[in-house]
Amino acid sequence: MRPRLWAGGGGRELTLLAGCLGTAIVFSLASPYFLLAANLATILRNSIELLVIGLGMTFVLAIGGIDVSVGLVMGLAAIGVGHALLAGLPLVLVVLAGPIAGALIGIMTGSVIVFGRIPAIVATVGLLGIYRTAIYAFLGGSWLSGLPGALTALVRMPLPGGVPLPLIVILLLYLVAYLLLRWTPFGLHLLAVGQDEERARLAGIAVRRVRFLAYVASGCLCGIAAVSYVGTYRNVEMTTGASMSLDAIAAVVLGGTSILGGRASLLGTMLGVLLLRMLVNGLTLIGVPSLWQSVVTGVLLLAALIAENVTTGQLPWVRLRRPVA
Amino acid sequence: MRNPHHRSMLLLAALWLLLIVIFAAIRPAILQPSMIQSVLQFSSMLALVGLGQALLILSGAGLDLSVGGMVSLTSILTMLLVRAGVPAALIPALALAIGLCLGLVNGVLVVNFRLLSLIATLGSMFAYGGLALALTGGATVSGVPSWLLPWGRGTLAGVPAHFLTTVVPAYLIAAAVLALTPLGRWIFAMGNNERSARLVGIPVGRIRFTLYAISGLLSGLAGLISLAWFGSGRPDIGTNMELESLAAVLLGGVAIAGGRGGVGGVLAAVLLVVAVQAGLQYVNVSSSWQLGLVGLLLIVALTADRLPWGLRLRAKG
Amino acid sequence: MRKLRTILLRTACVTAALVIACASGRAKADDLPSVAFVPQLTGIPYFNAMQAGGEKAAKAFGVHFIYTGPVDANPVDQLQIVQNLVNQGVQAIAVSILDASSLAPVVAQAKAKGLKLFTSDSDAPKSGRAVYVAQATDDGLADTLIDELVKRTGPKATIGIVSGDATSSNLNTWIRLMQARVKEKYPGIRLLAPQFAGGSADRADQLASDLMTAHPDLKGLIAVASSTCPGVGQAIETAGKIGAVIGTGYCSPNTVRSYIKSGAFGFSVLWDPAALGYLTVWTGKQLIDNKPFAASNTVPGMDHPISYDAKTGILLLGSPSVFTKDNVDQFNF
Repeated sequence: MRPRLWAGGGGRELTLLAGCLGTAIVFSLASPYFLLAANLATILRNSIELLVIGLGMTFVLAIGGIDVSVGLVMGLAAIGVGHALLAGLPLVLVVLAGPIAGALIGIMTGSVIVFGRIPAIVATVGLLGIYRTAIYAFLGGSWLSGLPGALTALVRMPLPGGVPLPLIVILLLYLVAYLLLRWTPFGLHLLAVGQDEERARLAGIAVRRVRFLAYVASGCLCGIAAVSYVGTYRNVEMTTGASMSLDAIAAVVLGGTSILGGRASLLGTMLGVLLLRMLVNGLTLIGVPSLWQSVVTGVLLLAALIAENVTTGQLPWVRLRRPVA
Repeated sequence: MRNPHHRSMLLLAALWLLLIVIFAAIRPAILQPSMIQSVLQFSSMLALVGLGQALLILSGAGLDLSVGGMVSLTSILTMLLVRAGVPAALIPALALAIGLCLGLVNGVLVVNFRLLSLIATLGSMFAYGGLALALTGGATVSGVPSWLLPWGRGTLAGVPAHFLTTVVPAYLIAAAVLALTPLGRWIFAMGNNERSARLVGIPVGRIRFTLYAISGLLSGLAGLISLAWFGSGRPDIGTNMELESLAAVLLGGVAIAGGRGGVGGVLAAVLLVVAVQAGLQYVNVSSSWQLGLVGLLLIVALTADRLPWGLRLRAKG
Repeated sequence: MRKLRTILLRTACVTAALVIACASGRAKADDLPSVAFVPQLTGIPYFNAMQAGGEKAAKAFGVHFIYTGPVDANPVDQLQIVQNLVNQGVQAIAVSILDASSLAPVVAQAKAKGLKLFTSDSDAPKSGRAVYVAQATDDGLADTLIDELVKRTGPKATIGIVSGDATSSNLNTWIRLMQARVKEKYPGIRLLAPQFAGGSADRADQLASDLMTAHPDLKGLIAVASSTCPGVGQAIETAGKIGAVIGTGYCSPNTVRSYIKSGAFGFSVLWDPAALGYLTVWTGKQLIDNKPFAASNTVPGMDHPISYDAKTGILLLGSPSVFTKDNVDQFNF
């Protein structure tokens, strides 16, 4: 049985695409500034970290796990990148510092969950506290700001054709992830483990190794996001990344990946992140106070999931006009 | 004593003993009545919210991430309504009613719309917490009548008044229900094996629905305590409560999958966490170490549970 | 046996952690009077500077200085810390108030124990606190910022505000006074409603960018909380609007130096937080010794007299300083 890559036969992705387009249309009518190239570039720029972290979260959710500490992993990795930058290391090392730090932390997370045999939600709640303390300890109770601009230049560098470098990197990452999930044994094992761990184990799949690697991959991706963060904002402080974990979970679930595992939608994650960021940007443009943004996020998430349950016939008390396959 | 629940209880007891011994050795002045009062004072909101979480987790429903948001929104809505003209005497009733309604929404989302608890409450967490901030623009809403304050700040027989009148009865009732009534047995059964429970005829949906409502009610009660204690409604009062209460529940011996654990452990765990925090502050350890310590506590407590010790046969590879 | 081993192992781990944690706490010198300062949150350079000033004063005046604060700008956590200090019997406790209600529950208890509770950096005027150590008057801060900004943007302009936590009362007070100033003196200025970035610089960056997009004629951006300063400055640089949009805020020279130099920030308004911390500890000592405050006080170690307004109970550090390209290098905080 081939694990499915597209959630629900493509329904969710199409809905999200329609949602993105619809949102874009509504906002461009409401505000003449929405469709400006500079604004769209801003939306994209603000989405980079969430897109990368969301990719990692997709993997973690696909194996049936969860990680509420991802934002802090990015924060810790950002400290590493920041210090590397301050130490004046060559740019290559600075860029590598992120994924390496992230992968190391991912190893720790994975070890606690897989080898410590603690349920992921429990473990990551505990690690949340530990990583928070670690961030405080490594920052020495202060923050890094006004970091040298060398990384910033790299992050903003447009490749021929005017397309910014981070966009290319993200597309590449998603492409690699897609190929990994679709065509390599590891990818198939990953989805199989998420779908039914016991059956996967009986089928001879190295379940623990697969789960462990998923967390390491997620950590590594958080490290990559950290590189982009430090380059873009030139600032690392105690709160860096704190809100990203729940935002990432919301975006990935919105995108169609199931929290129970076995189903991963990369396109959905991408669309989910973009939709959320477009909403945040558009609401500010039309003058809605920023405090309403999380309300919109929550309502959107719930609406999308309710709608899915309604249309796929999971609710016995809803009668649909046409029969559901 | 292979019962893991008893193991957790023993661990909690050991940790408590350890805490007292360490602090007595380093700074005996810590063990003064005002410290104990402080611990109880600061534990009540977390204890109430944790109770709601524990019940939901025991029944196998999953987490309720929206508890913090419910506490914030309840306190804000209550005060906004009072400002709009509702008589202040109704504040307690208002807080409970609003909390109940917010919990009912969660119930509808999970039971009627078949959303997963984690995601449904994630969404409602964003919505409730955000609403509390958005409605007030971040300002606190004052106007709590002065007759409410002694309940929030005063003591009865040396114990903080609200602790004695809310936490103690709530936990006693919950413990009694869980241990002595059919409902309690059903909750455990649901947590252990939902399918079997349904087959046996237990009204799983209805019970879960009720538990979400109860979680909302308890959050509303916690919101009421915050009003009586601070004298105003704060939109950010519930921040971080969801993860803190989850940590306390898990430390208290409740299994995340449900079906195992008890509320006594939850209360002990809440008190332990607050006591550790208070103790560390007393010796002026920076508060940033506390988060890590609680996290470490949680992981250590659950790790040793799983590691194969001795010659236990390994059923899983 | 196995069960016993498991439990012993677990308690051993926790013991180790607790002992290490306690060992890193400082021992209390029981013979010196103690003065504590509770910031709004720890881990930001502004309060770190206050801590440094407080420690300097502690050495100068022979007190034991305790600096402890919440990791989040969470009023319950702040209250817990203050409550703890009261339980410990710390004789003078200064708090930078997150919100007026943060202090209310403990005021009565502190008075009963004879401890002096006072505020510093951010006030709760009606709470019964002994005195408020103010960096500058709130009016002075708001007016100086607006006046300097309008000098640079011209009398007809749209100006945006990016604040930190929506629940922070001192930030909201400054915003309110800025709005009042604009209404009273500059009718041609349109001050946009404040946007809240929480505590994070990246959120401030995003909000600032969105504001600049939504209002292409935006001429000024005010970063009200010190945590939003880097975000606003970075946003102006990224948008390529240096010179077109003047950034400013209540930011420390170290944080905004690169943005002032690049031109993203036109200027910054602040006071010396180290001096504020120094004054706070001196005030604590005065309160412990029951020495009243004169209308003008000479504080050893400070180069100018400190004025005291008995009616409002405010000790004033001085007037706000304006940092520009010309003088920003002279300061290190």
